Amino acid sequence: MAVCPVYTTQSLNSTCSISTPSKTHFSSHHNHLVFYRTSKRTSKRGGSSSCVITCSAGDSQTVVIGLAADSGCGKSTFMRRLTSVFGGAAEPPKGGNPDSNTLISDMTTVICLDDYHSLDRTGRKEKGVTALDPRANDFDLMYEQVKALKSGIAVDKPIYNHVTGLLDPPELIKPPKILVIEGLHPMFDERVRDLLDFSIYLDISNEVKFAWKIQRDMAERGHSLESIKASIEARKPDFDAFIDPQKQYADAVIEVLPTQLIPDDNEGKVLRVRLIMKEGVEHFSPVYLFDEGSTISWIPCGRKLTCSYPGIKFSYGPDTYFGHEVSVLEMDGQFDRLDELIYVESHLSNLSTKFYGEVTQQMLKHADFPGSNNGTGLFQTIVGLKIRDLYEQITAIKTAAPLQATKA
Amino acid sequence: MATLRLHSLTAASEKIPTSPFAPSSRVLSASFHCNEKRVSIRMTINAMGGGAKYKGTQMREKQLSDMIKMKVTEAKQVCEGDETSDECKVAWDEVEEVSQAKADLRLRLEVEKKDPLESFCLENPETEECKVYDD
Repeated sequence: MAVCPVYTTQSLNSTCSISTPSKTHFSSHHNHLVFYRTSKRTSKRGGSSSCVITCSAGDSQTVVIGLAADSGCGKSTFMRRLTSVFGGAAEPPKGGNPDSNTLISDMTTVICLDDYHSLDRTGRKEKGVTALDPRANDFDLMYEQVKALKSGIAVDKPIYNHVTGLLDPPELIKPPKILVIEGLHPMFDERVRDLLDFSIYLDISNEVKFAWKIQRDMAERGHSLESIKASIEARKPDFDAFIDPQKQYADAVIEVLPTQLIPDDNEGKVLRVRLIMKEGVEHFSPVYLFDEGSTISWIPCGRKLTCSYPGIKFSYGPDTYFGHEVSVLEMDGQFDRLDELIYVESHLSNLSTKFYGEVTQQMLKHADFPGSNNGTGLFQTIVGLKIRDLYEQITAIKTAAPLQATKA
Repeated sequence: MATLRLHSLTAASEKIPTSPFAPSSRVLSASFHCNEKRVSIRMTINAMGGGAKYKGTQMREKQLSDMIKMKVTEAKQVCEGDETSDECKVAWDEVEEVSQAKADLRLRLEVEKKDPLESFCLENPETEECKVYDD
């Protein structure tokens, strides 16, 4: 066996992964002395332990992203755009539970935080708590597992089955390069918050939420306008108490509001979307329009670009949000044609694209996704590129550090 | 499919829904066209997308629809007494959960065009759930 220094998981230089012939179980370990435990475990084939401890710098540099959203898990458009930026389509784990909420692609794994429900549907009914309530969620387990994954240790994560409302047997999650935790409470627990390298909150205004849920549910025989409305209203107190406050912790908030371009528009088809970006976040430089830090109002439609009604309006400027300095980029209206998109992209700065037109290309790749013609698609794509940039910066630092250590 | 994609930006305002949930009208019309010629093999329908491939998924879709109906009725009953009660909140939360699950399934089938039972059925084609639905 090669000589190999065993580092604690706090070390940035290298982390260790353990491979054993039998299945590894790390989910319930509270300390990092995992190495000692498994080295004492004998393999089922008899004889001495067949565990191999391998240490490698550059391995398990898991970057953790948190996404707070009310609209279900892992299958959302945002996730698909994000994983697409990194290449490859995200798929549910093959051969596993078909009701798994997890999505895996080459670089990313997306975990649905509903899997950390401590109470299943029956349990919540008995206790009289909604899924929004922190009492229905096991934050200790969430913290342990996200921490383990971040340190390069695989975990057996529970599965919450949204169809049956039960907690299914766990599935093995291996540490990915990028871990995304998506759900109602990614930033609720302080310990989990501290593990996040970047966090996003998707803030849908009430009117837009109502319009979207109507589109979602009206085709169902069981639903009517009243039932859709009643469902939103009934969940609102818990939502406001437990979910909404998380937005103050987010590094980026995507706020979706009704348009201001059409008076009395209540169909929710044209949207005003604001990308609120926190200043001073490590490895994250906010996108800006024309002149960083100034206040801009821009209507690209005119002589060079013809837009159809209601057109497009951008604004950009500094602001404060829950006591933090932020920069806000706002788009109201819709893209009608490809050249509008390219025109807009050419005027934005700090996009973290690798080539001119990359934002447009990404949007076109998923032209059939919802929001592809407005600010939701645009800002989700931009945030995806920002996360790629953040990931590359973080991994560059981690690979550089061991080199310095060897020089010493 | 290529033609559909090229038009998607130009046909923007009416056709592309802004909600993450509503199925694209283009995909719906494509699948209706295919369903008329149901004799033509499953492959065509799958190529065009929109619809469950396996019996298990079809059953799941129906199950979720029925659950939505049932839970909406239940919620209305529970809330008759006190709209602000915990029971009422939980009842409507269940409606939301099941509605979202149904929408997710629909999205997966119609936009991603992948049946969730795909990889399971490749390994276990003889099971009841993996029967390819044919009527």
